Amino acid sequence: MTRPGPGTHPRHGLDEVIHAPVRFSVMAALAAADKAEFAFVRDTVEVSDSVLSRQVATLEKAGYVAVTKGYVGKRPRTWLALTADGRTAFAAHCDALRAIAGGDVADG
Amino acid sequence: MSEYAAKDASDALARARELGSSVRGSGRWYVRYQVIFGCAAALCVLAIGLLHHPYGVALGTGFWVVVIAGLSVYSARQRVVGRGFALRHGGLIATWGVLNGAVLAGGVTWFPGVAAWWVPGAVAVALPGLVGGFLAARR
Repeated sequence: MTRPGPGTHPRHGLDEVIHAPVRFSVMAALAAADKAEFAFVRDTVEVSDSVLSRQVATLEKAGYVAVTKGYVGKRPRTWLALTADGRTAFAAHCDALRAIAGGDVADG
Repeated sequence: MSEYAAKDASDALARARELGSSVRGSGRWYVRYQVIFGCAAALCVLAIGLLHHPYGVALGTGFWVVVIAGLSVYSARQRVVGRGFALRHGGLIATWGVLNGAVLAGGVTWFPGVAAWWVPGAVAVALPGLVGGFLAARR
């Protein structure tokens, strides 16, 4: 059996922006919906407002998440949604995870 | 990126599945929306077709306005909009619109007060909501 050369291990397919645990959870939650309210994502991912704000700002800067603000009655609401690029990147990241989990290539 | 073991990858994928499932569960409000929409559409058609004019039209239309207002408030208060919502909702409204128009136009023109037309017609206008709700519940 030959070991793969540098750069061929599936871990190289992992997206460093998505890889961080909270950002990965945010992406996973948003991947299952067209859009979700900020407070819902916060509760689902189990982080504070400030942590989620920071992580969402990073994902937004990478072009993976779109943030829209609006009102329901007088109550302000912030909606989060994956962009088309975000969906593609998350799918590729999950493919890489599956390849690693499948153990097609020795880890390390 | 540092060492990343198969176990870590499996755990991450499991977490993603768990979160996805939780989010999809919160999007199931649209099942209730569609079922209520379908039942209300049927009752509206029955009222318009089978009750005496003008009470049937007034009652059916008034009931429909109240139900749609309630459903609009209900949907606006939801925290999650499920995948493909715009397409599904557009399909629901378009299908209901065509069926409702056909049942009302045909019934008012040729079958006023004829239960043999209005009862199957009510079932037909209920179908987009009921079938949509059934399919959404199975997803």
